[in-house]
Amino acid sequence: MIPAAPVLEVEHVGVKFGGLSAVSDVSFTVRRGELLALIGPNGAGKTTLLNTMAGALAPTAGRIRFQDEPIENLPAHRVNALGIGRTFQAAEPFRHMSVRENVMAGGVAAAKIGLLPSLIGWGRAHGAMSELARKADELLAQIGLTARTDDPASVLTAGQRRLLAIARALATGAELLLLDEPGAGLSEAEKQTLVAIIRSLSAAGKTVLFVEHDMGFVGQLSQRIIVLDHGILIADGRPDAVRSDPKVIEAYLGRRRATPATLTPAPASSAAPRQTLLRVRNLAVEYGGQRALDNVSLDVKEGEIVALIGANGAGKSTLLKALARTESSRAEEMSFLGESIAAIGPDQVVMRGLGLVPEGRAIFASLNVLDNLMAGRYAARRMAGIASLLRPSKNEVLATQERLQAVYELFPILMERRDQLAGTLSGGQGQMLAIARALMAAPRLLMLDEPSLGLAPQVVEEIMSCLDRLRSQGLTILLVEQNATAALGIADRGYVLANGRVVKSGSARELRSDPAITSAYLGATNAGEPAANEPVAPARRAAALGSGAS
Amino acid sequence: MLRFLILALALAGSLLLNSGYFTNLLVIIGLHTLPAIGLALLMGYTGQISLGHAAFYGLGAYGAAILGRRLGLDPWLDILVASVIVAVIARWIGALVFRLRGHHLAMATLAFGIIVHIGLVELRDLTGGPNGLTGIPPLSIFGHKLTSDFAIFPVVWGACLLMMALAQNLVGSPLGLSMRAIAENERVAASVGTDVAAVKRHIMMLSGFMAALGGGLYAHYIGYLSPGPFDVGFSIRLLLMVAVGGFANIWGVLFGVVFITLIGELLKPLGSYDVIAYGALLIIVIIFFPRGLLEGLGGLLAHLKSPLLRGAK
Repeated sequence: MIPAAPVLEVEHVGVKFGGLSAVSDVSFTVRRGELLALIGPNGAGKTTLLNTMAGALAPTAGRIRFQDEPIENLPAHRVNALGIGRTFQAAEPFRHMSVRENVMAGGVAAAKIGLLPSLIGWGRAHGAMSELARKADELLAQIGLTARTDDPASVLTAGQRRLLAIARALATGAELLLLDEPGAGLSEAEKQTLVAIIRSLSAAGKTVLFVEHDMGFVGQLSQRIIVLDHGILIADGRPDAVRSDPKVIEAYLGRRRATPATLTPAPASSAAPRQTLLRVRNLAVEYGGQRALDNVSLDVKEGEIVALIGANGAGKSTLLKALARTESSRAEEMSFLGESIAAIGPDQVVMRGLGLVPEGRAIFASLNVLDNLMAGRYAARRMAGIASLLRPSKNEVLATQERLQAVYELFPILMERRDQLAGTLSGGQGQMLAIARALMAAPRLLMLDEPSLGLAPQVVEEIMSCLDRLRSQGLTILLVEQNATAALGIADRGYVLANGRVVKSGSARELRSDPAITSAYLGATNAGEPAANEPVAPARRAAALGSGAS
Repeated sequence: MLRFLILALALAGSLLLNSGYFTNLLVIIGLHTLPAIGLALLMGYTGQISLGHAAFYGLGAYGAAILGRRLGLDPWLDILVASVIVAVIARWIGALVFRLRGHHLAMATLAFGIIVHIGLVELRDLTGGPNGLTGIPPLSIFGHKLTSDFAIFPVVWGACLLMMALAQNLVGSPLGLSMRAIAENERVAASVGTDVAAVKRHIMMLSGFMAALGGGLYAHYIGYLSPGPFDVGFSIRLLLMVAVGGFANIWGVLFGVVFITLIGELLKPLGSYDVIAYGALLIIVIIFFPRGLLEGLGGLLAHLKSPLLRGAK
C-alpha cells in the first residue's frame, strides 16, 4: 500500500470523566482513503474517542488535527464544516421528517443561507431547496433507498436507518466518515448491503473510520484495525497482524482464565426433580414492525443458574425486559410459579418474586446507598397496602432488616458506604448495589442483564463468585452475559440466542465446547483465527468478539 | 399562496357584515396572531419552549408608547423601532436562556416573563406603574386617524398576513429544515454542521420581533396601557393557542388563536377564574391532541368512521 497523506492525526488524546479515565494517551494517524476499524471490548472507550474526533466532546488532554488544522476544541458543527461526518450508535434519523428531508437537512449548513433570505424566500433560498432535494435524491440512489424517498424516516427498518444516517453524513460534504457501529442490529443480508456501500464510498475516495463489534463485518471491510482496551490503544495494524497480536488476544480472550477452574459448576442433577419457576413458550417481541424476538421458549428450574448468551443485538436484553414486563410481548405461555405473568404490570412481577438487575445498573445516582436499597423494597412494602408505606407493619420492618443484613453480608462494602451517594460509587460497587437492590425484594428468581459490562476482570470475578454464592443460598438466576465464558463458567444450563431466536440450548458443559456458539457469534468469519487449543476457547472467543455495548 | 388569498378575501368580506363586535373580535385575533406565530416558530418548529412571550408583547407595546411619548416619534416609526429593539433584547435573552433545556428552559423563560411584568408595574416613572400609560395616539395615514376597528383592521391583518407569509417561507426554507432538526435532536443537528445555538438565537430574535410588532399595534389601537394584559396568564394563553394549533403548523396556529380568543369571550363571566379553564384545556390538548385540536378531532372522526367503513366491506 502506498502511504497516502495523513488526514486525521490523533496525538496523546485523553478523556477523563471526573476521576474516571475513559481514554488515555491514544495516538494514531488516519491516511487519506483508508478504511479503518476501531475495535475493543465493551467499555473500552471507542465511542468516547469517536466523540472527541467529531467535536462532540473536548478531550481533556492531547491534540487532534484534521488536514493540519487543530480540531480538539472545536464544536461539532465546526468540525463537520471542515469535512468530518459522523453517524451515531442508534442511527438517530429525524423521525418527523421524510427520508429525503433527512438527507436534505444534512446539506443545509453547507448551503450557508441566512435568516433574511430564508424569510423572504427569494433568490438563493428559493433555489437552494430544490438543489438540496436533487442532491439528496442522488445520495439516496447511491445507497439504494430511492424507493423510500418520500416515506417518513420513522418507518424505516434498522438497516435502512443506518444507511440513511450515512447518506445524511455524506450530504454535509464530509471527506472523513466516522461511523459508530454501523452494523449493530442488522441482519446478515443487510450487513452485506452495508459492506458493499461502505466499500463503494471508500472506492469513491472517502476516508472511513468505523467502530464495530461484529468481527465478521470488521474482517470483510477493514484495511487496518485499531484496538482499544480500557481506554488504551493496544494495537494498530493490518487485520491479520492485529488478530494474532497476543495483547489483543489477551484483551479479548484471556481475561477470565481463572474463573471456570475456580468456580465449580453446580452438580447438574444434585437434587430430586426441581420445580419449574419460569416457563416461556413461543415468546415474540416486535419493535416498530421489526421482530426482535421470535418463537423463544425457555424453562428455568428452581436453584439453577441459566445463562442466556448471544451476540450483540441477538435479543437477550429484550427477553429479560419482556419477562420483567417492561416491554410488551406476545407469548403462548409466560408463567412464573405456575401463574401467568403475561398480563400483569412490572411492579406485580417484582411482587411475585421475579427480580431484574437492569443493564447498565440503573442505580439512583442522587440517592444514597441505603435509599437505593430501600427503593428495592418498595414493591414488597406496597403489597401490604398503601398504609404500609407510611407505617410499615412490624413484620415488614423485621423482614426489611433481615434483607438488609443478608445484603450487607453479601456485599460488606455497601454497609461501609451506606450513606454515600450512589452516583459516586465505582462501577463494580454500583453493580453490587444494583444486585443488592433487586435482592431487597427477596426474589425467587433473579434476572441479571450484563452484570460484567464495563468492569475490570477482577471485579467481574468477584461479581460472578457472588452469584455463585447466591445460588448456593437457594436463589435461582437467569443471567444474560456478553462474557459467555464467565457466564457458562458458573451456569448449569444455557441458551444461545441469535437474531431473536434460540439456536442452541443445553448444559453449560456442552455449550462451552460447542462450536455452534462460535458461529452464532462470529458468523462465517472464524476462518483464519488462531486454532482453539483448549475446549473453552471457542466460547471464550465468542464471548469476547461478539460482545456489544448498546 | 391560494390560502393567503382566500384568507384575505374572507377578511375583506367580513367587513361587509358591518358588525362592530365581529370586527373588534377579528382585530383582537389579529393582534394575538402575531405573537402566536412567533411562538410557533420558536416552540413548534425549533422545539424551544417559552413561557415568557407575553413579555415581548408587553415590551413592544410599552416600548412603542414610550418611544412615541419621549422622543416624539411617529406611531408607525415607534412601533418599528420598538420591535427592532425587542428583537435585539430577545436575541440576548436567547443567548442566556438557551444554555438550558427542557424544564429548566421553561423556568428561565417564565422567570423572564415575571421579571418584565414586575418591571412594568414598578418602573412608575417610565411606565406609569399600575395606573399605566394613557393618551397613546392612534396610528394615522395622511392625517386620517385610524381609531375605529374598521380603520385599524386592514393594518393589523396586513401585518398578520405578511408575518404568516414570512413564517411560511422560513419553515419551507433550508433553515426551516435545520429548525426541525434541532427540535428533534440537537446532537445530530450539530453533527451535520448546524450551529444549533445560532439558529436558536435567530429564531428567538424573529419570534421576539413578531410579538413586539403585535404589542406595538395593540398599544396604538387601544390607546391605553396597563401591565395587566402582559402577565404570565397571557404567556400561557399564547402557549395554548400554539398547542391547540398543533405546534409546528402556521395555519393551525391561526385556528388556535381564533379558538382561544372565542373561548375567552365565552369565559368572560368567570372573571379571573378563567385561568382554571385555560389550564384544564391545555392539559386536555397536550394529552389527547398532541398534534393540535384540528388534526386531533379529524383523526377522532376518522377513527369513528372506520368501523362503519369496515362494516361496509
